[in-house]
Amino acid sequence: MTPIVARRPGPRAWLTMIQCEAKMVVRDTAGLIVPIGLPLLILVMSASTAADQVVVNGRTVLDVHVIPLVFTIVMATIGIVNLPSFLALYRRTGILRRLSVTPASPAMVLVAQVVVSALQTLAGVGAAFTVALSAFGAHVPARPAAALGIVLLAMSAMYAMGMIVAAVAPTPNSAVAIGLAAFFAFGALGGLFGGRENLPDALATLGGVLPFGATVEALSHAWAGSTIDPVHPISLAAAVAVGAVVSVVFFRWD
Amino acid sequence: MDDTGGTAVIAENLRKRYGDTIALDDVSLRVEAGECVGILGVNGAGKTTLAETIAGLRVPDGGRVRVLGLDPRRDRARLRQVMGVQLQQAYLHNALTVEELVRLFRSFYPDPRPADEALELVGLTGQRRTRFDRLSGGQRQRLSVTLALIGRPRIAILDELTTGLDPRARRRMWDAIRRLRDENVTVLLVTHAMEEVARLCDRVALLDGGRLVLVDTPAGMAARAGAGDLDDAFVALTGRAPEGPEEAE
Repeated sequence: MTPIVARRPGPRAWLTMIQCEAKMVVRDTAGLIVPIGLPLLILVMSASTAADQVVVNGRTVLDVHVIPLVFTIVMATIGIVNLPSFLALYRRTGILRRLSVTPASPAMVLVAQVVVSALQTLAGVGAAFTVALSAFGAHVPARPAAALGIVLLAMSAMYAMGMIVAAVAPTPNSAVAIGLAAFFAFGALGGLFGGRENLPDALATLGGVLPFGATVEALSHAWAGSTIDPVHPISLAAAVAVGAVVSVVFFRWD
Repeated sequence: MDDTGGTAVIAENLRKRYGDTIALDDVSLRVEAGECVGILGVNGAGKTTLAETIAGLRVPDGGRVRVLGLDPRRDRARLRQVMGVQLQQAYLHNALTVEELVRLFRSFYPDPRPADEALELVGLTGQRRTRFDRLSGGQRQRLSVTLALIGRPRIAILDELTTGLDPRARRRMWDAIRRLRDENVTVLLVTHAMEEVARLCDRVALLDGGRLVLVDTPAGMAARAGAGDLDDAFVALTGRAPEGPEEAE
């Protein structure tokens, strides 16, 4: 008998796994409507009036308020609602357990889901931005590098929140319920239903440091070209750290 | 490498309990390389717990397991290269097709069985483009079995190979297991089907209330019970312990 060598699955296995997760996401048509469709709808409904009012640096209400909100909705729905619903389904139905008796680690599924979620987010953000640019005369951010950095940081923060949902949700249904509740709570406190200035002070402050509000604020500053209040990126980084710790401690494979 | 020579599985004094339920009570079993051993018992007797402990999916409260000389927990990365497992709960990515799942599982192994051969082995060639969620229960089961065998394992642990299959599909599975034997693969078969035991197994290990009450050839089991066939022997030799609940998932 030849000796038994532990051989980790190579790039071909990773690529196949990512393709499989992508097919799962694309074939879950209902799951695409909220993250891609809802932000586009909000954009189209508010763009025509918002595109005329200049705020600062030639940037309009569309650039400084609507686009940051739309981007944040895409990132938050995919990260907080969709990602954990797949992971909870895989755990509940024993797929993670099944993979744990192959040379593939179930962690491969997690990574592949994050990669596919990132691609889906880029598609959603890209679609919204293309429509805003071509149909409503939106502008690129006054500080593009800062905007890109915030988008990447915000995506990480949203996935970290999603990992917490996946770690604590006992069933796929509860993952969707907890994810949606978290999305609307973060959203309500972060400007989803109107500006945070209308909230009581304590809630407005809280909303600004939770991932949704922090993302909207930081992106808004990046678009306007004004200084980004460090509290927002720091809050997002803290969300990444908290999500990582909580999911490492509480995530169950079966 | 394999300090065990011709022995594929050594389980020694395994103990496992879930709350008040004793799933394994001092179970010891040796399986030689190339052997096909049936694990039998009534529901809740500890069959799945034993199989999953050998597969490294469950940690025993006490005792020791070696599979091909490896510790299923500590040496999991090595053992998984050469072990194929079919779990009782055979659910997979629901929106992927048979072909896509076969491709995914093939990608995990260095020298997998060709996809066509894997599908032919269990008679799923006609379903290759069918999504998992549109397969019947029996088809899912067959897919699960072929995925367990796709990496050309040296040891296969199959939990309820033919439960819910029609007689034709059942025979096809038995042929597949016979082919494994020709390849000198060690097979552990958790089963309720005495006909399957008679046709495939070199030996049986009979569990009752978590205790191993008999390890013998199928003919020896019938003889020991003084029974005419294996069904009668099974009934005579089990049921001394109160019937447990269905085993924990």
